[in-house]
Amino acid sequence: MIKQVLILLAVFYLLALLQTSFFVDFRIWGVVPNFILISALLINVFEKPQKNTGMLAGFIGGFFLDIFSSNPIGFYALILLASSFLIKIILSNLLKIIEQQYPVTMQRTKSMTI
Amino acid sequence: MRFFFKKGKILVLIVGIIIVLSLNFFQKEVKGFFYVFSAPIQITFGAAGDKVSGFFEAIGNLSELKTANDELQKVIQEMLAEKASFAELKKENETLREALQVGLQKDFQLAFVTVVGKDIGQESILINRGAGDGLLVGMPVVTQQKILVGRIGEVLENFSRVVLISNKESAFDAKVSGTETTGVARGQGNSKIEFDLVPQDKVLKVDDLVVSSSLGGIYPEGLLAGLVKKVSRNDVSPFYQSEIAPLFDIQDSNAVFVILNFNND
Repeated sequence: MIKQVLILLAVFYLLALLQTSFFVDFRIWGVVPNFILISALLINVFEKPQKNTGMLAGFIGGFFLDIFSSNPIGFYALILLASSFLIKIILSNLLKIIEQQYPVTMQRTKSMTI
Repeated sequence: MRFFFKKGKILVLIVGIIIVLSLNFFQKEVKGFFYVFSAPIQITFGAAGDKVSGFFEAIGNLSELKTANDELQKVIQEMLAEKASFAELKKENETLREALQVGLQKDFQLAFVTVVGKDIGQESILINRGAGDGLLVGMPVVTQQKILVGRIGEVLENFSRVVLISNKESAFDAKVSGTETTGVARGQGNSKIEFDLVPQDKVLKVDDLVVSSSLGGIYPEGLLAGLVKKVSRNDVSPFYQSEIAPLFDIQDSNAVFVILNFNND
């Protein structure tokens, strides 16, 4: 757990630095994509709904966004935490529905995944 | 959602949230602490970003560059001709100044600052000088070409955050250069500025140069804000609906000047 937190802290700190310096020069249709937000959301989407790394990533990523913006500390941290929580609820409910409708396919998929 | 049924983890989460929120009581110190060791890395990354994006831009715009080069050659020739006449005017001006005994007084005191971080989403930049260097909230920030950047919105001990003129919180009195057409320039976000409250009985055209006015006392007179991009009339409103394209580009700015004091008289 501590190792996980330290890795997330290092990765999101680096992303926050890049977001406020390097990526500023790379606009796509006039907009700079928020890579912290994208990374945090992707972690949440692709990890298992029972795991909590995504929520931790959202909170830590949001914290660094707050540090390097003019918002009060906790603004983005809580927004990203809530978004991560919401994604997890949606995904776990979605999995339940799929499991109920296609039990055989889901069992095969589970046996195939590590 | 097994995670949320574990009491221990809920407790850790709540404690984490409380700790982060309580950091707001020492917001300036906490942010300042991070900025101190992040600033050199951000400056390095910023310079690298400039180079890399410049390289890709140059490749993408090769044909445009050729056209621009031809046009610039023409402009240079025109300017050389103008320069000759300006030299004569300069001489005349100097003579008149001497005659009127007007000394060349500096309009304002400047402090050179480096841009450490840029927040495009919130239209603000972070500079490497703060309260310790005598900076105060509200001080105007300009580029070396006298282009208006914005004003200081937040001051930490060694760093300050500059709110750009295109920020939604920004509004200041402005006028069309060389005319009596005045209005209010309001930031709209996304590098857009609305030029509002310009009466329809005044003349306002696309490409008019808009400069700051000393009316509101926020900025000194005559700082370059931008060029009028769109102008439209509405029968219902007595004012023009117009938009300014700011001259300041957040991408190309690595060093700016803070005006420490100015006299609007």
